[in-house]
Amino acid sequence: MRRPGLTAALLWPALIIMAPLLLGPLLALGHESLKPFVGGRIGGNDAEALTFDNYAAIAAPEYVRYFLDTFRVGLISSAFALVLGFPMAHFIVRRAAPATRRLLIGGLVGTLFLSLIVRVYAIAMTFGPHGPLSGFSRLFGIASSSPDGAELMVVLGLMNTTLPLVALTLLGTLQNINPRLEEAAMSLGAPRWKTFFQVTVAMSLPGILSAGIIAYAFCISNLVVPMLVGRGFILFVSNLIYFRFSEVANFPSGAALSIVMMVVSVALFYGLLHLVRSQWQEAGK
Amino acid sequence: MAVLELQNITKRFGGAAAVDNVSFEVGRGEIVALLGPSGCGKTTTLRMIAGFEWADEGRIFIGDADMALRQPYDRNVGLVFQDYALFPHMSVAQNIAFGMKNRGVPRAEIGRRIGEVLGQVQLPGIAERRPSQLSGGQQQRVALARALVTRPDIMLLDEPLSNLDARLRLQLRREIRTILSTFDCTSIIVTHDQEEAMGLADRIVLMNRGRIEQIDAPHDLYQHPKTLFAADFIGHANWIGGTLARRGVGAGAVETALGSIGVAPGAVADGPVTLCIRPERLALVDDETGVDTRLAAVVERHDPIGADLRIWSRLTDGTLVQSLEKNIGRELPAPGSAVILGFRVADCIVLPGARP
Repeated sequence: MRRPGLTAALLWPALIIMAPLLLGPLLALGHESLKPFVGGRIGGNDAEALTFDNYAAIAAPEYVRYFLDTFRVGLISSAFALVLGFPMAHFIVRRAAPATRRLLIGGLVGTLFLSLIVRVYAIAMTFGPHGPLSGFSRLFGIASSSPDGAELMVVLGLMNTTLPLVALTLLGTLQNINPRLEEAAMSLGAPRWKTFFQVTVAMSLPGILSAGIIAYAFCISNLVVPMLVGRGFILFVSNLIYFRFSEVANFPSGAALSIVMMVVSVALFYGLLHLVRSQWQEAGK
Repeated sequence: MAVLELQNITKRFGGAAAVDNVSFEVGRGEIVALLGPSGCGKTTTLRMIAGFEWADEGRIFIGDADMALRQPYDRNVGLVFQDYALFPHMSVAQNIAFGMKNRGVPRAEIGRRIGEVLGQVQLPGIAERRPSQLSGGQQQRVALARALVTRPDIMLLDEPLSNLDARLRLQLRREIRTILSTFDCTSIIVTHDQEEAMGLADRIVLMNRGRIEQIDAPHDLYQHPKTLFAADFIGHANWIGGTLARRGVGAGAVETALGSIGVAPGAVADGPVTLCIRPERLALVDDETGVDTRLAAVVERHDPIGADLRIWSRLTDGTLVQSLEKNIGRELPAPGSAVILGFRVADCIVLPGARP
């Protein structure tokens, strides 16, 4: 017998700590975003009346670019991670010998332990304008020193994390697909590619969407990668917020940007989660 | 003409032969069971016919075509799995349509055949349901329909009833038999359950350790087992070890610890032999009529098993034997009482070799 009250009570310690830690700063941030900005001082002006000026300022078209860049580059990086990560996970689950499987999974987990800064600098040194593999971007018809070259570096930098993240997430998804289903499809006359798309990929859709959301969340909240290899051509909203707070000390504007970014991201995730749920229900469970 | 022919098929997994020199034929419309304990190579044999495993040696023919280089999707076989393997992200209709689409059946024909086949498996009106909304028995019938609807040359069923409970298994066994006959479909059923094999198949291929022990009709396999394994695996048996003393045209005799026992003349080689007497052929006798051999025994206990009573008795040399008596209200000797057990020459199967 389990007392329902006890299990619920176990939630309280976490709630008591989380509420002030999360809600408190969030409320302070919201409050800050409504204060008028005065140059030369740290933090908004408390003396004057609250205003929406900070929000009005970032509604300007030049700010939209940062949001678009963030969501676009994040999308590209997540999509590539899915396209490359799915076959990788499929290989590990279905084809690899036990020793190879351990090696690959170990490698994927290992990369996540490596500091992102180290990995991003390594990418910049290798594929950047002066790196030994600077010709890599030319494969895509892009000069490595151009803005597009910078975007490619950011995509690569983000994929350094999103690829293992996606591949590891999809391992579980694929492991839960009965291999008999693929055999059933083949015995019903479906060639391997058709079996792959109509059974394996189709049944993994909920997992693919979850993996995509995890990767996307990582991308659009990233600060380090665009800062180090974006070379000023590619800046995410996080970078903008960072500049506002640390370099020009415009706290109210930084706070307003943060709130907008948060609202947009949360809306986006709820939209995607809704999509996942409806897909999941369609899959029968 | 044989629809399926296996010629000297051998498959090794890392040195050990999982399937060892297996050959058999399946005729048109015939239902053949591959029967044996787990690890006997029956599933591997089925997977080689389906094309999921390659034979190291030997050849497989379906119709006149050599399957050596054919991919699973280029062989016209229907597969039914133990765990049904219905596509969970598709409706029943989409599941059944899947194979027809791949085999280029016209759209209008697909719709017509879905309705028809669902009627044939006794599941009308479930076309739009998801597999998860069906019971195990229903799912297996949909799986059967999905495979049959493409009109395969041969149906391969891998332990089709093992995931169902005992009652449903019996019911579905009869239905599968009816459905396969309706389609006049050549079929192979892999099973470890002798009752399932006896109830479903026209012929049984009995396998043990990768080899074929015996191929026979179910009744013959039970009545005339050729090896100790076959006699042991199918049904219950009493064993008496001995040596073949005399083999003549008229009759033979086996010397045992219980004395000399007369046996029918047969082709068994000299040396140690084992006598196999089925429990229903070993009877409690009170006079000498109708039996050729009489053995003194002491009753140990009775097991009621429904229609029959199983009586365990100990022979004078200490061997425990079982005999079946019809449960018709007759009074039976109580445990501890001395009885005479008897059997006829014809009831005694002589098998080569001694039991370990």
